Order: sequence, then structure tokens, then C-alpha cells
Amino acid sequence: MNRRAYLGGLAGTGIAGLAGCLGTIESQLSGEQPGSGDWGDGETVLDTPTEDRGSPSHPIYGHEMPSFSFPDPLTGETVSSSDLEGRTYLMTFFFTHCPDGACPALLLRLRRAQADAIEKGYDDDLALLAMTFDPERDTPEVLETYAGQQGVDLEAGNWHFLRPESYESGAQVLREDFGMILDRVEDEEDLAELEEEHANDDHDEDDGDDHDDGDGGGHHDHGEYTFVHYNLIFLVNEHGIVERSYPNALRTDTETIVEDVRAVTGG
Amino acid sequence: MRRRDYIAGLGSLGVLATGGVVATQGAGPVQDRLQRWFGPDVEPLEVETADVRGSEPGTMQIPTLEGPMFLDFFGTWCPPCIEQMPALAAVHEQLGDEVTFVSITNEAVGASITEEELADWWVEHDGNWTVALDRNVELAERYGLSGYPLAVAIDEYGVVQWSETGVKTEAELIDGIEQAL
Repeated sequence: MNRRAYLGGLAGTGIAGLAGCLGTIESQLSGEQPGSGDWGDGETVLDTPTEDRGSPSHPIYGHEMPSFSFPDPLTGETVSSSDLEGRTYLMTFFFTHCPDGACPALLLRLRRAQADAIEKGYDDDLALLAMTFDPERDTPEVLETYAGQQGVDLEAGNWHFLRPESYESGAQVLREDFGMILDRVEDEEDLAELEEEHANDDHDEDDGDDHDDGDGGGHHDHGEYTFVHYNLIFLVNEHGIVERSYPNALRTDTETIVEDVRAVTGG
Repeated sequence: MRRRDYIAGLGSLGVLATGGVVATQGAGPVQDRLQRWFGPDVEPLEVETADVRGSEPGTMQIPTLEGPMFLDFFGTWCPPCIEQMPALAAVHEQLGDEVTFVSITNEAVGASITEEELADWWVEHDGNWTVALDRNVELAERYGLSGYPLAVAIDEYGVVQWSETGVKTEAELIDGIEQAL
């Protein structure tokens, strides 16, 4: 798909998301109305989400998580979806070259869940997966340093960085199997152009908790290339079914995510 | 007014407001306002404090509930946090007697960075107030950290009166902190 086509697609979901946004506010304050969405029928612990989601390209509540297998460069293991059966996991996607941006905040949410699990003794039932888009710059050494900066407990044994062999191979899996929107942007001009198109397509630049896919992502401008990506976190249960996908995860309170994790693990 | 009524009132306000602001913020401001008015869970959290200049090693309660506080969430690895340090130092100079200043990091101090490195970094960047170690990310969770640096001003009742991400000037910091005085 060329870039213009996928931005066009984005604009559509952004508009759909507006209706969802109003629904979200009402349902949050009045209580219990489940939102609409193309939910799957997998076995779940959590109730149907109250926000409207439509049919995003990535898996949402009740859908089976796509299978995957990536190396963890710090433990030397290969982590695959089948190894994770029987455990709940949170999974997010990041790259270290956005130190002041969204990525530390994404990892912080996983880190908080890890700390809560250790405190409450359900750490054996929970795995934390942080997949880099950028294996070229995110070497094992860089990832280990980054873990320390973000306060990650690597000793706990339940944290895995996932590092695909190359950007292309990782991106292919993310796009084709996960339905993620991800783009590598080579220079600032491209980024400016992309932003301009985006602004023209979708005036709803920052549409809050629309819980759709309009512009849940962020871009980062560091160094010679950067990425445009979602700030997405998946919560997947022991059967490999998505319990929550937080598409605009930085607008989701860490506390909400931790509560959801506790409910799913029974922790 | 009972809390429930308050929330019901807010609900309609929120829905009205979304007509105009949905494009920029969505439900965020409603939640923010709820949190500002009722406060977060104001039960204080006990956190470890670092042995660095101006900081007594041991533990402290956040919020103290004894007076206004200013929290700065930072990382030694975070260039914008470094950029903001001179402004913080200047504001501390002016308001440090009225407001309890605490800079907070989630870094694995003792692992990825030693205590000595933290102490040196702190002096190098003119820090001279309390540094707290949020090892379990509880403070970051409570105060909604979604980017560094994060500035939070809390009043004497433990209620967040101002909270903003990003590098601030001295004047912006003072304006923000004054909302909690």
C-alpha cells in the first residue's frame, strides 16, 4: 500500500472515531454500556470494552493474537507466542531513539505492571514484551542500557525485549500479521510532508480517547531516520486471546492497565 | 454537594464541552478535572530518597500533606530534562522555602547508574534539593507520567493543581507552581 493510501485509510478511522469519543465519555460517566466494535469471540476474562472501536486493522478484544517469534537479544532465547501460552502478557512496540517521547512512557506502563506483579506475587503469570522497530540502532547493549534507564527489572526473568533480524522483517510481520501502521521516515522533509498530508486528511489532529486508530501514534525526530507508529499496547490472556488493545496507550492511565492485568492474571 | 451529584454535573459539562474540544482532547480533560477537583488517591506514598546534594537519604511521603509540593519527573538520560535543570534551579532558589521540591527518577539507581554517578550528575546540573527514587513506578503511575520531564504542582491537601509535560521556562514553572500556593 502506498503512503497516501494508508493515510487516506487513517482519515476514515479518525472520523469514525469521533462518534466513538462522545460515546466513550458518556459511557465512562454513566457506567456500563458496552461500546461497539468488531469484537472477537475468544475466551476472555474482562468485560467487553466500553469504548467504541469499529474494525481496526489490528486485533482487538476477543480476537486471537497473531502468532509471532522473535529473538530476545538479552537472554538469547527466542520468544514465540506459543511459548507464552499459559501466561498473560503485555506487548508494546518502541525504539530507543525517542528518549523524550512516547516510548519511555509506553515502557513505563509495562514496567509498572512488572513491579505490581512482583509486589503481589503474580510475576510468574505475567510476561512483558517490548519489541523494537529499530534493530539496527537498538543493539543488545543499547537495549540493556535502556532497560536500566526505564527502571526495568531484567533479573525478574519475565521481561523480554524482542529484536527482529532487520527492520524490514519486523515491519512485515507487524504490518501483515498485526495490522499495525508503521512507517520508517528517512529525513525531516518526509516527515513534514507526512504531517501535512495527515493534517489535510484529518483535522482531528489529536482526537483524544477516540480509541480508534486515527492518530494514536506519534512520530519522533531524532537522528537520521525515525518512525511513525502507533502507541499501542496489547494485553493478551493465557489462551492467546486479546483482552485489551490500548490503541492510544499514553492516554490510558497506567493504573487502568495494571488493574486489567490483575484481573486477567487473577493476581 | 455530594460527590455523585458532582460527577453527574460534570458528565453533562463534559458532553457539552466535547462539541468544541473533542478534536483536541476527547475524554482526557474530564478525567483531568475530576482528578484535580477530588485529588488523586491522596494517601501518601513512601519513597526512597537519594544521597545527593540537598537531599537527605532515607524515605519521604509524597504528598507530604504539610504544604505545597513541586515534583519534577526526570531521567539523567533525558536531554530535555538536562535542558530544564537551570530553570528548575532558579525556581528552587526563589520558591524553595515555600514549596517542597522533589525531583523523581525511575532509573535503576544502583544498577544502570550508580548512586555516585547520580550524585555527580546532580551537582553538575546544579541540583540542590531532594531526589526521590520511584523504583516501583508508583509515583509515575499516580501522577500520570507520559513523557519527560513532567512538572507537577500539588497543594497542601495533596491535590494536583498543575501538571505539564515538556521543558518549561523559569516563568512557566513559577506560574504553574503558584497555582498550588
